[in-house]
Amino acid sequence: MPGVEALLPRFRAAHTQVLGVSIDSVHCHANWGRDLGGVSFPLLADFQPKGAMAESYGAYLAGAGITDRATVLVDSGGSVRHASSVTPAGERSPDELAALCEQVDREAGTPTQAAPEPQGLGADAVLYVKSHCGFSRRARVAVDNVHAADLTVRNASDDAQALEALRQVSGAETAPCLVLDGSPLAESDVIVRTLAERLAPI
Amino acid sequence: MIAEGTQAPDFTLQDQFGRKISLADFRDRQHVLLLFYPLDWTPT
Repeated sequence: MPGVEALLPRFRAAHTQVLGVSIDSVHCHANWGRDLGGVSFPLLADFQPKGAMAESYGAYLAGAGITDRATVLVDSGGSVRHASSVTPAGERSPDELAALCEQVDREAGTPTQAAPEPQGLGADAVLYVKSHCGFSRRARVAVDNVHAADLTVRNASDDAQALEALRQVSGAETAPCLVLDGSPLAESDVIVRTLAERLAPI
Repeated sequence: MIAEGTQAPDFTLQDQFGRKISLADFRDRQHVLLLFYPLDWTPT
């Protein structure tokens, strides 16, 4: 996946959205993406019922209870243009995947639009977090997955000035809190989705 | 494995950011490359 992440500009130029799929949960995907150095393209949780989406593509290995290492390219008209498997033990070349998408983009003849551009967070954005807080951790994992390295992160647990600033901007001491354009966002689910919409739109 | 030339089945699943994503979201906009893989924390 890091190899694919590095080539996202090529997939983007080929009018192609990359979607990873496995049977893991949303939180498992988020933590794995962070461990890989940040995965900003969607990793889909085919989690409940387990493997149902992969099964519909013939890419679920029911005996092992896992997804095959399979590649399916769907054109913008909804037709399958390529389907292959390298088996779970096999490897894929990100460069060959990008070349495949470029070829189908040239030949598909189906309508495409440019992918949406990241909007950014603004220079004055601040994420307030607290120590030993699972919700704060989720927000920080999302920060890493969308590569928001420039975002100011302040820990209100060990910084009295940060705690006072959090109180002033939000009227509370609840973290995580993402301040965008001067307005506080308080729920970790909302914060995580907003980070994705601003920096990794689809 | 699904056959080339057939219509891809639609789906709606959540991503690592909690967004609900459907194949239909990309209709007439983008091609979609589905990379199935066995499990997180395995090579890609």
